[in-house]
Amino acid sequence: MALLETKDLTYVYGEGTPFRAVALDNVNITIEKGDMVGLIGHTGSGKSTLLQHLNGLLSPSKGQILLNGEDIHKSKETLRATRFRVGLCFQYPEYQLFESTSYKDIAFGPKNMGLTEQEINLRVQKAAEFVGLTKAHLAKSPFDLSGGEKRRVAIAGVMAMEPEILILDEPTAGLDPKGRDTISAMIENYRQNTGNAVIIASHSMDDVAENANKVIVMNGGKVALSGTVDEVYKEVDTLLSIGLDVPQITEIFLKLREKGLDVKTDIYSLAGAEEELLRLFKERGVRR
Amino acid sequence: MIKDITIGQYFPGTSPIHKLDPRLKLILTFAYILTVFFCKNFVSLAIISAVLLVTVLISKISAKMLLKSLKPIIVIVILTSLLQILYTDDGTVLLEWWKIKITSGGLYMAFFTTVRIILLVAASSMLTYTTSPTLLTDAIERIFSPLKVLKINVHSIAMMMTIALRFIPTLIDEVDKIMAAQKARGAELDTGNILERGKAMVPIFVPLFINSFTRAYDLAFAMECRCYRGGEGRTSLRVMKLRARDYITTGIFALCLVAIILANHFLPAVI
Repeated sequence: MALLETKDLTYVYGEGTPFRAVALDNVNITIEKGDMVGLIGHTGSGKSTLLQHLNGLLSPSKGQILLNGEDIHKSKETLRATRFRVGLCFQYPEYQLFESTSYKDIAFGPKNMGLTEQEINLRVQKAAEFVGLTKAHLAKSPFDLSGGEKRRVAIAGVMAMEPEILILDEPTAGLDPKGRDTISAMIENYRQNTGNAVIIASHSMDDVAENANKVIVMNGGKVALSGTVDEVYKEVDTLLSIGLDVPQITEIFLKLREKGLDVKTDIYSLAGAEEELLRLFKERGVRR
Repeated sequence: MIKDITIGQYFPGTSPIHKLDPRLKLILTFAYILTVFFCKNFVSLAIISAVLLVTVLISKISAKMLLKSLKPIIVIVILTSLLQILYTDDGTVLLEWWKIKITSGGLYMAFFTTVRIILLVAASSMLTYTTSPTLLTDAIERIFSPLKVLKINVHSIAMMMTIALRFIPTLIDEVDKIMAAQKARGAELDTGNILERGKAMVPIFVPLFINSFTRAYDLAFAMECRCYRGGEGRTSLRVMKLRARDYITTGIFALCLVAIILANHFLPAVI
């Protein structure tokens, strides 16, 4: 049984008004324990709507969301429990900070879970460690921190609930390349240490190519592609027709093909690129 | 849930009503609302209702949208009509039971009050439905510009109104987002007693205020970067000029006004 599963999930905005729009159209996805899922799609592809269904913030017009085989909308209690088991961290989460110290802000989630003071303290420390916040950071007002630090406080606030599935909507949006790498590394570190599943939504393939073991591509409210990184990146044509940028490495090979070189275009990793280039060199008699 | 608010909403269109000079629309709406309260018999009430009906038809605003604007006042309408029915003693007695006495005067009163409230709200909704917020504040600025003599900075007030109106949808979006984010961390916003609910609002309002201040600073910078320095010597992209359709509309309204005055004068007053 899958950890989290959606069954024919359909969501219609503004039913019965002129603004009616189908945001999700029969979406079926499964998330297993320890998965690192990359959810790719444009703005308006339905990925944010899908994420908000997974922890029950939105309820489907049709279909089901099953957590360990149980419908999350079965009762008020299951729904509330789902909020803690599926932790959702929105885009630009630093805009939701409100407490007087970073410590208190991270403790907001665990406190709502009704944990003991001791357990809360333990979880806050652990989450702070994952995102690399020091004691000095925790004692400060979150509003006195830098943009990247604020982001980390906000992510820690969701990690501290120790959800079985951590969902992050564009966790690196608006950060500089260094901040981006730091956050990505922290998330991967969190996943390996806790064994919890992580879903990262992004509009960029490059963001998730490295760590994801499963990629889901959304387009127009539907799942356009899904599978392992290899399987999805092979579908270059589909990706391009959706208007998603393929990994930069793949782009280079597409350009080479355009220039009339006989190269494969389903290349997305450094190792694959090396192999293909070497093959090409050999074929053309270029010596190393 | 917050998205259902229709007050102040604008529906873009190209009808003659949309194209009327906003200053004129504003003044006519005021005149209309005043007139509604001077209608003392069925004929004058029918005329003033017809004026609105024709306006709605020309503007192509759907009846559904108009009804939606009336939804929030249902309670007020019912309450005032009930009070009118119960507390008016004029006219013939139709029903008497225990301490309750229903008279024809009371029913008339209730009917007139109901129609008046509906017309009042519908007319002001029509103003905002057919006039973009920027045009409306522009119009307010022009109409009140004589107040400059009294050292009142009409331009600043109008600019503040424009900005406030502009940011209502943004803030509504933002509240929705922050609420969702805090709910995702297990905040319970709609359970508990008043004190608990009030406390639960803190995680919503603190970020909202902070973000609003940041936004205000950004906006101020952006305005200064574009050399904004208040209304002194500032000209406008849209020069408001009364056109033929504005004079015609005013003429028609004036005629209706005359008809209403005559009806009020020569026909017996119902209330």
